Amino acid sequence: MSKESSGTVTDTISTGALRNLRVIDLTRVWAGPLGTRALADFGAEIIKVSDPRIPLSRVGKVNDKLNRNKLNIALRLDKPEGRDVFLDLVSIADVVIENFRPRVMRNLDVTYDRLLEVNPNLLMCSMPGFGLDGPYSEYPAFGSTAEAMAGINSMIGYDPQRPLQTGLSYADPVSGLNLVSTILAFARRRGLTGKGNFIDLALADSPLGTLGEYFVANSSNGYIQKPHGNVHTQYSPHGAFRCKGNDQWIAISITNDVQWSRFKDQVNDPRLSRTCYANVSSRKNNENAINKIIEEWTLNKDATELMELLQVEGIPSGKVSNNLEVLNDVHLNARDYFSYLTPEDGEEEKYDGQAIPGNQKEREEWFPMKNLGEDSSNILLNYLGYSKLKYLSLIENEVIS
Amino acid sequence: MEYFQDNLPLEGIKVLETAQGVSGPYAGKLLASLGAQVVKVELPEGDWSRHIPPFLAETNRKESSALYLYNNTGKKSVVLDWRTAEGLQKLIDLSTSSDVLIEDWDSSERKSLRIDQETFRADNPRLVEISITPFGLSGPYNEYKSTPIIQLALGGVLNLIGNPGQEPLMLPGHQPDYLTGINASNAVQIALWDRDFFGNAGSFLELTMLETLANVHQAPLDMDGGIRQRSGHRQSPLSSNGFPPGVCTVAAKDGYITFGGGSPGIWEQLCLMLGRLDLFEDENFSNVFENPESGPIVDRVMESWMASKTRAEVFEEASSIWMLPVSPVKNINEVLDDQQYAARKAFQTVFHPEAGEASYPSPTFIADGKKMHISRAPLIGEHTKEYV
Repeated sequence: MSKESSGTVTDTISTGALRNLRVIDLTRVWAGPLGTRALADFGAEIIKVSDPRIPLSRVGKVNDKLNRNKLNIALRLDKPEGRDVFLDLVSIADVVIENFRPRVMRNLDVTYDRLLEVNPNLLMCSMPGFGLDGPYSEYPAFGSTAEAMAGINSMIGYDPQRPLQTGLSYADPVSGLNLVSTILAFARRRGLTGKGNFIDLALADSPLGTLGEYFVANSSNGYIQKPHGNVHTQYSPHGAFRCKGNDQWIAISITNDVQWSRFKDQVNDPRLSRTCYANVSSRKNNENAINKIIEEWTLNKDATELMELLQVEGIPSGKVSNNLEVLNDVHLNARDYFSYLTPEDGEEEKYDGQAIPGNQKEREEWFPMKNLGEDSSNILLNYLGYSKLKYLSLIENEVIS
Repeated sequence: MEYFQDNLPLEGIKVLETAQGVSGPYAGKLLASLGAQVVKVELPEGDWSRHIPPFLAETNRKESSALYLYNNTGKKSVVLDWRTAEGLQKLIDLSTSSDVLIEDWDSSERKSLRIDQETFRADNPRLVEISITPFGLSGPYNEYKSTPIIQLALGGVLNLIGNPGQEPLMLPGHQPDYLTGINASNAVQIALWDRDFFGNAGSFLELTMLETLANVHQAPLDMDGGIRQRSGHRQSPLSSNGFPPGVCTVAAKDGYITFGGGSPGIWEQLCLMLGRLDLFEDENFSNVFENPESGPIVDRVMESWMASKTRAEVFEEASSIWMLPVSPVKNINEVLDDQQYAARKAFQTVFHPEAGEASYPSPTFIADGKKMHISRAPLIGEHTKEYV
C-alpha cells in the first residue's frame, strides 16, 4: 500500500492483486524466497537485498527458480552507509522479511524497534530457525534439521527403529507457504488499521501445523505412529509397487472393499480371490502376501498404462513420477501449470508455475531472476531519489554494486 | 504468553465451508484463527474426518476423531444435506451473506449436484469461492481417484523418500492436504485483498493438490536434466552437483540425530568437531554423490563419535560450539515435551466436552510476542438452529 510513499517509480509493476504491496526481502536459501516468490507472482514488488560480495549461485538453477519476479539490489548492510541506504529502503516499504539467525539483525542494529523509527507502520516478519527466543534461539537450523525437531521423521522409514528424512527439507516449503498466509493476514490488518506488527515465524514451528492430529492424539491417549513402510492405518492394499523399467513404480491405495473387488478382477490371480480378502481387516492381516502377489502382476507392466487402466475402474492409483516426469506430466501440461522464462542472453526455460490461483501478475510481465545488483541504480536514483553523486560515491565505497 | 486479540486480521470476514477432510477444513481453521467467522456445513453423516482414527473417546467416536478435532477448531457446525434440492437452496441462501465459500466438489459431484461457477456467485458477486480438488475441474486426470500417497506419487515427492532402489515412501498423515490447505488460505486472502483494496468483485478459484505438490520441490523440476534419486538417510542433493558427506540422519546413544549441511564450510566444521580434519582435506570426501563409498565411512566416524553421547548432548555441543545445523529426531511425545516449543507456547490446551483435554499446535507464528488463540471444534450440528 505504498502508493503515496513510493516517490518516483519508473519500473511500475501494474498487474496482479498485490501490486500495491512493497516488500524488502532479506531472506536467503529456500523457505523465505519460496514465500516471497508467491507474493511476487501476484504482483507484489519484492526488492531482494543481496550481499554484493556473494555471487548469486546459478548451481542447479535453485536460485533462478525461487527468485523470479523480484528486483535485486546489492547492498552491504554491515557498512554504516549501507545500513543508512537500508533504512531509507525500509522507509518506503510496507513489509520487511528476513531469515538470519537472531543475532545478525541485532548486530546490524536493524531490529524491528529500530526500523519502526523510520517507518512507524512497518510490518516485519522474521523467520529464524527455532524462533527469536527460547533456549535454542541462536542455534542454526536448516529445513532438514527443523523437520527432525518437529517430529515428522519419527514416522518415516521401513523399520520402526530407523527414521529417515523426507528428502525435501520439509520445514522449508511449509514455512514458505505459511509465510504467505501470515503476511497477507497482517498486511490486511495494516491496511485497515494503519498499524504494523512483528511476526516471528520459526522454521521448526511450521511442520507442527501439518502434524496436528498426532499431537492431539498423543497428548490425550499416548497414540504413537512408528515408521512402517507405506502401511496405512485403514486402507489395504496401500503402497508403491515396482513396474517395468528402471526405478519405475505405481502407487495403489485401495480405500474400500468395492475398490478391492474391482482391483482383484483386474489382477485376475486366483490367490487373491479368497472370499475372506473381500474384507479389509483380513487383507490387513495378510498384507505382505497380498502385496507380493500384486507386485508379481505390476512388475512387467508400464506404470503409466497401469494407472490409466486402474483409474478407469475408479481405483486410486498413480505413477510414481520423478522430477523429469513431473515436468512432462500430461495433466499439469494440459492445465498450463508451468511457466516459461527467458533469460536475457539465453534460451527459454521451463519452470514450475504458481499453484496459488487468482489474479496473478500477467504472464508477459514475469521475468527471470535478476543479476546481483541489477536494480541498484534504479532503486537508489528513482525510488529513493538519491543524487547521481551520492549513488556514485556508494559504488566507489563498495557499499552497493 | 498472552493471546493476540486486538483487531484480528480477518475480523468481519464470513466463511462458509462445505469442504471435508483436511485441505479445505485446514484452510478454514487457519482463517478462523486469524479472526474470520467460519461456519462449517456438514452433511447429516458428518465430515468424513469424523470417522477417521485415532479417536480420543471410544464411547463417542463421532465427536472425538483427532483429525476432525484438530482441523475444525474455531468453527461453528451446521448440518444441511446439500444433496437435496431444498438443502442446496438453503446452502445458497447462507452463501449470499458470506465472503468466502470453501468447497471440494469434484467434476462428477458438481454434475450430480447441478452446480457451476455461477451457482453461488450469481446473487453475491462479492463471494470468493475456492474449489479444492486433487486434480482440478479439467484436464486428463480430473476424474481420477486419489489419496495422499497418490498425490505424493504424481507430484514427484514419493520418488524422493526412502532408500535408493527400494520402495518409495510416503509422508505420514495428510501432508498434501495440509500444504494445499495453506495455499487455500493464501488464495482466499489474495482474492480478499483484490476485492477490498481495489474494489474488484469476488472470484472463483480453482486450487489443486497436484499443483501444490509440484510447487514444493526445492530444485527446479528439470534440474539441468538430472533425475533426483532417493537417498535414504542422507539429504538429496539440491542439484546434480551433489555435496559433501555428513548430511544425514545417524545414531547417537539414545536415538537418531539429523545433521544438515551441504556446503564445504559446514563440512569443515563437522570434521573439526569429529577431530578428523584429515577427512576435510581428502578430496575423496568432497562429494558423497560422486564417491558414494565416502558416505558410510563418514557415517561410522560420526556414529562412533556419538556412541556414548545422548541426542541432547550432541545437539547442544554441535549447535552451540560448532554452529552446525543439527537436530535430534524427536518422537511426537518428545516434541510435546521439548523445552524450546514449551518456551514458545507452540501448543495450547483445548478442552472439548466429548473428547476431553488435549494439546493442539497453536497457529505456527507469534505476532507481537503473542500466539493466536484457538477454541474447540464444534459438535455436529451444534449451531444449526442459529443459522438455518
